[in-house]
Formats: sequence, structure tokens, C-alpha cells
Amino acid sequence: MNKMMRRYVPFMKAGIQTLITYRLNFLGFVIGGLIYCFVMFYLWRSVFESNGGGMFLGFSMTDMVIFLFLSNTTGQLIFSSVGEQIGEEIRDGSITMRLLKPVNTDLSYLFAELGEVLMKVIVLLIPMVLGLEIYRFCVTGTLVFNPVNFLWYLLSAALAYLISFRVNLCFGFIAFYVKNLWGIGILKNSVIGFLSGSLIPLAFMPEGLRVCLEYLPFASMNYTPVMLYMGKYAAWEILFRIGLQIVWALLLFGLSKLIWFGAIKKLCIQGG
Amino acid sequence: MIYAEHLRKEFKKTVKSPGLKGSFKALFRPKKEIVVAAEDISFHVPEGEILGFIGPNGAGKSTVIKMLTGILTPTSGFCRINGKIPQNDRKKYVREIGAVFGQRTQLWWDLPLQETYLVLKEIYEVDDDRFQKRMAFLNEVLELESFIKSPVRTLSLGQRMRADIAASMLHSPKVLFLDEPTIGLDVVVKDNIRQAIMKINKEEKTTVILTTHDISDIELLCDRIVMIDKGKNVYDGSLRELRENFGQSRELIFETDPSATLTTDQFRNGLNLKGNDLVIEREKNTFKVRFNSAKIPVGKMLSYTLSLTKVKDISVKDADIEEIIRNLYRQGEFMDE
Amino acid sequence: MRRIWKIYRLLAAQNLKRLMEYRADFLTGAVSFLIDQAVGIAFIFIIFTQIPQLAGFTFEQVLFIYGFSQIPKGLDHLLSDNLWCVGYFIVRKGDFDKYLIRPINPLFHVIAETFQIDAMGELIVGIGLLIYASPNAGLHISVWTVLLSIIAVPFAALIYTSLKIMTAALAFWIKSSGFIIQMVYGMNEFAKYPTTIYSLPVRILVTYIIPFAFTGYYLSLYLLTGSDPWFSIGGVILVSCVLFAISLFVWKKGISAYESAGA
Repeated sequence: MNKMMRRYVPFMKAGIQTLITYRLNFLGFVIGGLIYCFVMFYLWRSVFESNGGGMFLGFSMTDMVIFLFLSNTTGQLIFSSVGEQIGEEIRDGSITMRLLKPVNTDLSYLFAELGEVLMKVIVLLIPMVLGLEIYRFCVTGTLVFNPVNFLWYLLSAALAYLISFRVNLCFGFIAFYVKNLWGIGILKNSVIGFLSGSLIPLAFMPEGLRVCLEYLPFASMNYTPVMLYMGKYAAWEILFRIGLQIVWALLLFGLSKLIWFGAIKKLCIQGG
Repeated sequence: MIYAEHLRKEFKKTVKSPGLKGSFKALFRPKKEIVVAAEDISFHVPEGEILGFIGPNGAGKSTVIKMLTGILTPTSGFCRINGKIPQNDRKKYVREIGAVFGQRTQLWWDLPLQETYLVLKEIYEVDDDRFQKRMAFLNEVLELESFIKSPVRTLSLGQRMRADIAASMLHSPKVLFLDEPTIGLDVVVKDNIRQAIMKINKEEKTTVILTTHDISDIELLCDRIVMIDKGKNVYDGSLRELRENFGQSRELIFETDPSATLTTDQFRNGLNLKGNDLVIEREKNTFKVRFNSAKIPVGKMLSYTLSLTKVKDISVKDADIEEIIRNLYRQGEFMDE
Repeated sequence: MRRIWKIYRLLAAQNLKRLMEYRADFLTGAVSFLIDQAVGIAFIFIIFTQIPQLAGFTFEQVLFIYGFSQIPKGLDHLLSDNLWCVGYFIVRKGDFDKYLIRPINPLFHVIAETFQIDAMGELIVGIGLLIYASPNAGLHISVWTVLLSIIAVPFAALIYTSLKIMTAALAFWIKSSGFIIQMVYGMNEFAKYPTTIYSLPVRILVTYIIPFAFTGYYLSLYLLTGSDPWFSIGGVILVSCVLFAISLFVWKKGISAYESAGA
């Protein structure tokens, strides 16, 4: 374990460095997300005012605020650019360089991103949770923060990241068959944005659609951790949701491996 | 035609020490440094000349070319070309120049080559009649016919370079800037491109400024060279002058029978020369004697050699321009220290 | 002028030909913009299943405002998308060189080079919503209101373009300004809904500082109420012209600070 870590730590450091180097782009991303959240915040405030306060489809205004900002932050945390990266490497042929290194290819990508994720937890998630809890304290007058829920959130978000990583990895492999990933990339992001329930809470959707989406892997990528933080699930459901996440993580792991081995064969035949 | 007067260009650069720590440091206290890419460059090119603009990597060649083409604004100093200052009168000025940057292309990457020329025709307002004539001329000189219908991304490097030169020549510019036009090409293609440049220069009196790392480009094409190093002029003059001033080194090559024993010391003592003024290399029976013809005339050298040993075959060669330039680069470094 | 139009058509045609090469890409791009739009509209539907009015506006009126805001946005998106590339990489990689050695205005050249068909997503949704919502939105339809609103649309698009020029030009100094474009452009989210739902500082921000409120809400308001044309129509024209002038100034300054790339 120790030996393995030592081999992958450089990748992690490189990941952190990348984030620092491109910190301004990252900041733009974060602020862009926050602007969206604020627009939605005002919209919902107005909705709750028009509704005479109280609840909206089972959500209070504070619930809504937590949902908006936390799912945005979670979206940043689980964001993985491994697909675009691997796509680029396949296109320019530098993927062969990576194959030559004596490390596991998936893990080298994973660790590079884990460095970034670690940074995001520190500079994004912790201030966000702090801010949200202060807001909640100011509005309700009591401290509502539940450390157990927060731990569930962390566990679930970690699983969500793994799922997102595998989904994006599979997406990157499309580059073996398609010239340009740009359009598909945008499509992927909007589809995931919608299906993961990070834009519209799944609870607001029509019954049939909601149930469907809850079982797809996309809900596991964002909606599940946020709901866990908000304490929307009963005890047995918590275990069920986490279990579902684990199942998806494993299935997608298998799928990405399957595609990868197929692709390597193709790579060998084509000669890079 | 082209006047460059005390051109100077500074860049600001953030420096980062290596590693994770360096990244964090740069995050909180970014260190800015001023880099002087061109310190003080002056030269003048008359109409119709091919000027070789040379210097080691990082000497500031590209920076100067970019100032001359109006892409960069000089920090101080100025250049005037065709009576225009590029930065002040950009739109009018660029009509009269063509530029090729060897490392990047101005062709539309995904489209057939022909399309690029049609767009450029409109941009430079070349009328139909002239366009036809022009394409015929460029076709003849650069042999574009075989690939003019292929998408640019499928062209080989040599084809792309020919296509790029044609693109920069479409509007019959008075001045042509070529930044590394032969970089990465094989010998045959290089020769092809040199022929084309010569023809264009001869038939249209186009003034050409050319940067290159390939000495044969200079030997075959250039009337004159301007050499810069570390942002300063190092040399300005014709190739002949360069040879005369710096190239007194000659090479005497001869073959003897295998039993001959000749040493450097023998020559040096016999002729009363020291160090770099005389160097001998031996390969089997062939000797190469490099000597300074300012210190010892060629005739004397010849007769001395013939008096020492029996010679089968003998010849004297002018110094290699490449070597002269290499020496000049080295001198520049030496002076700087 | 005719020459400019000719060159524009030519460059745009080149871009379309290129798009045809990557057909699949462009289709998926358009579909994803439609999905984003669908999410935005679905939101409004869900809200109005629970409440009759939002800040005093009916369902149709909110849709109208939303739809109207998408038209200038789409117009700008269609025509000047290449400015993003200037901010993100054209300047950083030194590819801006090529615009400077051509005898046409570099800004025009940059803009003419792309014709972003993806923008059809916004335009179709915008116009579709206007058609759907108009009959029941209680509009003040007269020759004047309609004519003035139509005149105002290109000016509203110019607000988008000017902000993009300004922020993209910052790349001439800081190499890559993509994130700033992203941040400023992102504020257009505020234009989708009635400006009255925001708190005062935000209202001031989107009216006077980054004036996206003029690209949708104020114009819609004029059509909805028929009052205050000086503020809404006059405002959009004045604001867009001032912004455009500033952006040209910044752009020009930027070009002389351009450092290219490499040695």
C-alpha cells in the first residue's frame, strides 16, 4: 500500500499544481456556478413570497438554498475532465506514452484528479458548508448542522466522484471512434446536469420520471449526497442509496475496463 | 526600404520556482520579471535584397520580425518600411508585405487549399484577372497543382510550407518576411523552396528578410546577413566580407603514403605558429590542416608541406561559413562574459 | 461597406463548410443547447404548478420575458462566438498574429470567422416562447411598441458583444481571460427573469454596471406595459453604444499590448 502510494503521489501533486496554475479558470467556473445559484436563489425567494411562505413540494426556503448551493458545489467536486483528457491523448497519440509508464493507466488519471478534488474540498466545500450553516442559523435561529449527515455526505460524495470518474472515462474512449469530442462533451454535460437532479430536484419531477431517474447512475452522482446532507432519507433508505451507489460504481468500473481492453487491442492493431 | 532604428522590446514574465511549493509561492507572491527580448537592434535593407537575419536560439529574431510586421509594438525605437510605420498604419502597411511563420500556418486547416486562396483574394482585394495570373505564376514556381484540392490538414510539411509561401505572395507584396521557412524539411524540399524564393526575388524584385538556422539557406540565398545575439546586433555585412574578416581560416587537405609521420607540433614549430592558428586532424592517410591565412600565406603553407613529405593529392579550401558563424556566436558569448 | 459584407459572407461560408466536415459535432452541440433551454423552461412550469403569479407576473408573462431575453443572446452567440476563443487561447498561443498581418480590421476578422449555428437553440426557443406566450401575456401591441422593440434587439445583442469584446481583450495583457468572460457573461442568467425579483444591489448591478437587464426584462416590460420607452428603448440604445465605444477602446489598447508567443 505504502509503495503504491509513493508511486502515485507525484500524479496527485501534479494534479494540485495544475489546479493552482489554472486557478483563474477554476475561479471563473466557480463564480459562474455561484451566479447561477444566486439567480435561482432570488427566483425561489420570489416563488416562496408569492406562495405566502411555507413549503413548496416538500421543500422549505432554507432547504431550497441548501439544495441549490450544495448541489452546485457537489457538481464541482465530482467534476472530472478525464474524458476530455484521454480523448485528447488518443487523438494526438500521446496515450502510448502513458501506456509505456510502469503504472496503472486508470490510477494515474485518478490520482492526478484526486489532487484537484482534495484542493476543492478545502477551498470550496468547507467554506460552502460553513456559509450554508451560518445562513441556516441566521434564518432558523438554531444550529441545525448534523455531523452524521455530513459524514454520510462525504462518503456518498466520494462514491459519486468514483461514478463520475468512470462515466467520464467511458466517454473519453469514444475518441477511439469519433474525430472530435467537443460537441458530444457539451451534450454529455447538459444531459448529466439534467439527469443527475442537480438543476431541478428530482422530487419536483413527475412520479414515473422521478423513480426512473433515481435508479440511473446520474442521480448517484449528485442528488444522493445532497439529499443525505439534508437528511431527507430515513435510516433504511440511506443504506439503500449508498448501496445503489456502490453497485453503480462497480458496474461502471467493469464497463470501463471492458472498453479499455477492447480499445487497447484496437490500438495495437492500428499501431497507435 | 526597410529601416530598423534601435528597436527594443521588453516582456513581463512571471517566474515560478519548480515543484508544489513553487506553485503555492507563485499563488501568493507572484514574482514578475522583465525580460528584454530585443535590446537594441538597428539595420537597413535596400530594395530587392535578400537579407539573412540570423542568430542563436533566443537571440530575439522572431521578436524583431514580429515588430517589423506590426504584430508587436516596440517598447522603444521604431521601424519604417516603405515609408510606413507598421504599428501606426497597420491596415495599409500589411497590404504591402507578406509573412510566413514556419511554425504556424495561415491556411484554413480543414478546407481544401484552394479555398484559402479564394478568401485571401477577397481580403487583399486582388481582382479576378490578376488573381489568375498570380496563381499561374505561383503554381509554376511552387508547384501547387498536385495538392491544391486537398484539405490543408492532409498536406505534408513541405507542401504546407509551399502553400504558405504562396499564400503570403498572392497579393504581390513588396516585402516578404520568412521566419524559418525551411525548418523541419528534407534536403530536396529545402532546395525546392530556396529555388522558389530566389525566383520570386529575381522576377519581382521582392525584398526578402529571412531567418533561419540552416547555413546553406544563407549561403545560397542571402546577399547580406545581419546577425544578432542576446537582443543586440553582432554583425552586419555581406557574406564575402564575413569571410574576409572572420574567415581567414583555410583548410589544407592532402594524402600521403601510410608511413608518413606528421604531428601538429612539427608544423607549429616549423612555421612558428601557436594554438588555434594551426590544427591538424588525421584520418588514415588523409590530413586536414586548418590554419590562419593571415598568419601564414597559403603559398608558404603549401611549399612547407610539400617540403616535409611526399604528397599524393592536395587541395586548399575556403573556410566553411558555418564554422565562421559558429565562431562568431562563440565570440559573442565570450564578449558578454 | 460592400467589400466588408462580401468578406463576411466568404469567411462565414468557410466556417459553415468546416462545420459540415464535423456535422455530428455541430448537431450534438445544438441538441445540448436545446436541453439547457428545456431545463430552464421546465423550471418555470414547475413553479407555476404551485403559484398563480411570480412577482406580479403571470405564467405567460414570465415565459415572454424569458423568451425575449434569449433572442439578443442568441443573436450575439450566432455572430461573435469566436471572441471566447480569443480570451481562452488565440492570444495565449500567439495565433492572434495572423489577424494582425491582414489588411482588414482584426476585430471584424475575428468575429467574421465564426458563424455559430449552435445559437439556433436560443433563437428557436426564444421566438417559440414569444409566439406561445404572446396571445395571453396581455401585450400592448401597437405599431410603435413592436417597431421599437424590434429596433432595440440588435442593440441588446450589442451589449452582449461589447461585454465579450472588453473581457476578451483583457487577454492581451493577462494572456488568458476566458474566466473573466465566463464570469461577466454568466451574469446574463439574471436577464431571464423579471429584474424586480432581485434585491436592490443586484438590480443596480444588472442595470447599470453589467447591464444585462436591458437585454430582456426592460424591453419585455415596454411591450407588456407600453410605458416608459425612453428608459427601456432609449436605455438599451444608449447603454449599448457607450459599452461598444468602451470595448473598442479597450480592444485597441489591447492590440498594442499584445505580446504574441514564443521567442
